[in-house]
Amino acid sequence: MIVGKASWFFENEPVIIATGVTGGPFEKNGKLAEDFDLLYDDLWMGEDSYEKAHRLLIDEACRIALEKAELTKEQVNFMIAGDLINQITPTSFAARSLAVPYFGIFGACSTSMEGLALASFLINGDGADYIVTGSASHNAAAERQFRYPTEYGGQKPPTAQWTVTGAGYAIIAKQNEKYSEKPKITAATIGKVIDMGLSDPFNMGGAMAPAAADTIETHFEETGRNHEYYDLIVTGDLGKIGRATVLDLLHSKGIHIPEEKFLDCGLMLYKEEQPVQAGASGAASSATVIYGHLLKQMNYGFYKKILCVATGALLSPMTVQQKETIPCIAHAVSIEKNS
Amino acid sequence: MEKRLMLFIFSLSVLLFGCSTVNDTPETRSSLVRTSNPNPIAVNNKDEKLVGDIKETALSIDGIYDVAVIKGEAKDCLVAFKVHHLERFRMKKIEKQLTKELQKQFKDLSFTVSSDFKIFLEAVRLNEKVEKENLSKEKKEKRLQEIIKLSREKT
Amino acid sequence: MGKNNKTPEQKQYEKLEQQHETKRPVLKNCIKAFFVGGTICAIGQAVSYFYIYFFNFTEQTASNPTVATMIFFSMLLTGFGVYDRLGQFAGAGSAVPVTGFGNSVISAAIEHRTEGFVLGVGGNMFKLAGSVILFGVFSAFVVALIKTIVIQWFGGGFQ
Repeated sequence: MIVGKASWFFENEPVIIATGVTGGPFEKNGKLAEDFDLLYDDLWMGEDSYEKAHRLLIDEACRIALEKAELTKEQVNFMIAGDLINQITPTSFAARSLAVPYFGIFGACSTSMEGLALASFLINGDGADYIVTGSASHNAAAERQFRYPTEYGGQKPPTAQWTVTGAGYAIIAKQNEKYSEKPKITAATIGKVIDMGLSDPFNMGGAMAPAAADTIETHFEETGRNHEYYDLIVTGDLGKIGRATVLDLLHSKGIHIPEEKFLDCGLMLYKEEQPVQAGASGAASSATVIYGHLLKQMNYGFYKKILCVATGALLSPMTVQQKETIPCIAHAVSIEKNS
Repeated sequence: MEKRLMLFIFSLSVLLFGCSTVNDTPETRSSLVRTSNPNPIAVNNKDEKLVGDIKETALSIDGIYDVAVIKGEAKDCLVAFKVHHLERFRMKKIEKQLTKELQKQFKDLSFTVSSDFKIFLEAVRLNEKVEKENLSKEKKEKRLQEIIKLSREKT
Repeated sequence: MGKNNKTPEQKQYEKLEQQHETKRPVLKNCIKAFFVGGTICAIGQAVSYFYIYFFNFTEQTASNPTVATMIFFSMLLTGFGVYDRLGQFAGAGSAVPVTGFGNSVISAAIEHRTEGFVLGVGGNMFKLAGSVILFGVFSAFVVALIKTIVIQWFGGGFQ
C-alpha cells in the first residue's frame, strides 16, 4: 500500500526466510568474518578471470540461501538482483545457471535495498511465492572497471573507499505460521536521484550523503515514524566522511538520531588496521552486512526494528572522465522481528 | 608475502653477486669513492716526464681532485678526471677549461678528455696491470685505443 | 551539469561536506615520497655502477641497461603484488621514477590478460602509459623545435 509519494507499507508482511552470504580474502580478515557463510582465500577463487569469480560469489550465495530455505530453484518465482560490472553481466550469468525468471536491476551500491523493496512489494501483492534477491561486488573487477588496474601503484586519498568482495542474497517469502519467527519487511521508501555537485570519484561517501539524508527524512515524513521507532538505522556504504555528513544534514533538518543508533555497513566490515581508507563500499557492502551480520543479530534479539538505507553513486568511468558530477540515490527498507 | 619478497631479494643478490668475478684489487674497486691517484702511463718510456706534467696541469684546475693520464705512442693522450661531488654541476665547464688548458700547453698532442667514471676506472685498471706485469708497448697502445673508442660511444 | 554553475544549495552542501572530509597529509606524503623515491634512485645508481664495473659501459651508455633493469625489477614487484602497496605508501615517490612507468604498463598488461593476448594485453598495455609516451615525445619535439629556432636566430650565441 502506498503512503505519501514514495513509501510502501507491506501489510502482508513478507519475510526473509533465508540468506546466503559469501566473501573474499579481505573479508575473511575482517571484523565480521564469522557472519559469512562462505569465504574464499583469494580473489581468483579458482576461476580464470575476476568476472568469473564475481559470478561464482553470486552462484554460491544463491545456492546457500536456497539450501538454508530448503527450497529447490524450481520453487522460486523470480530473481531480482544486480551488481556493478558492465551491463551487470556477473548477475545475469549467475541467473543463467540458476534458470529462474530474472529481473536485472542496477542501483549501484543501493541495489540490495532496491531489490529487497521490489521483492517485498511483489510478494505483498501476491505477485510471487518466493523471490531471491540480492547484490554482489568484487573488489578487483570493480577496481579495474572504475579505477586503475589492480596492481597499479597509484596512491588513493584518505577519502577513498574499498570495494567489498562478496555477495549477499536473501529469499523473500509470503508470511505464514511457519515463518512467524523470521524477520519481516514492513515498509520501504524509494529514494530519488540527488546530485549535490560533487565530482570526486574518490569521495563517494560525501557525494552519497545528501541522498541518504533525503531518503531517511522522506521515510520518517511519509510513514509517520521517527528514529525512536527503530532500534538501529544503518546505511550502506557511506564511510567515515559520509556518515558524519548525514548526521549533520539530519540535525540541520531537526532529526536528531543519536550517534550510537546510526551505523554504517562500510565501517562495520573491516578492522581498524585494514587499509581501507574511509571504509568499505560496493554493492556487496550493504548486502553482506545486512543479510549476514544484522539479520543474525536480530535473531539473537539485539535489534527488533531496523531501517536499512542503502546508498548508491550512479556514476560510470566515462562520466567521471567527462567531468560530470555524481548523482546519487538511496533506498530505505524497514525490517522488523516479532518478539 | 614475506616469502615472495625473500625470494625476490635472494634472486636479486644471486644475480648481482654472481657476476663479481672481475679480479680487481681493493684499491681499484674503491676508486669510485676514494682518491686513487694512479701513476700516469706512458706507452713510450721517453714520455715519462711529459705525462707527469700533463697530470700536474690537470690537477691544477679548480675542482679536479683525481686524474689518470695515458699517453700513447703517437699523439694520442687520454686524460680522465674526477671532480668533487658538488662540482658535478659545473662538470661540462671544467671539462672545457681543462681541454683548453691542455691544448695550450701541449700543442702537438691530441687529447681525449673524459669525466666519465668508466674511463677513469679503465685507466686505473690499466695502471694496475702495468705495475703488476710487464706489458708490451703494443698491448698498452691497443688498450689505450680501446678506451678512447669507448669514451666516444654515445648511447 | 558543469562544475562552475552550482546552485547555492550545492555550494552550501559542499562547504558542509568539506568539514568532514579527511585532509590529505600533504607534508607527510612529500616526506615519504622523498625517501622512497630517493631509495629507488639510489638502487638505480647502484645498478648503473654495477654495469660500469662489470660490463663495458660508460656512465653515459650505462643508462640504457640500467633503465631496463629497473623496469625488470618493477615488473617482478608488480607481479608479486608488492608495488601497489608501495605506491599507496609512497605516492609520487614510486610513481615518478621509471619503475612507476614500468608498473603502469605491466599492471595493465596483467589486468587484461583475461581478454587474450592481442586485444587484451596488446590493446590495453599502454592504457595508462600511452599518454606518458605521447606527451613525452610531443614535448621533446616542441623543446627541440624551440632550441633549433633559437640557435638559428641567435647563431648559437646561447651556448
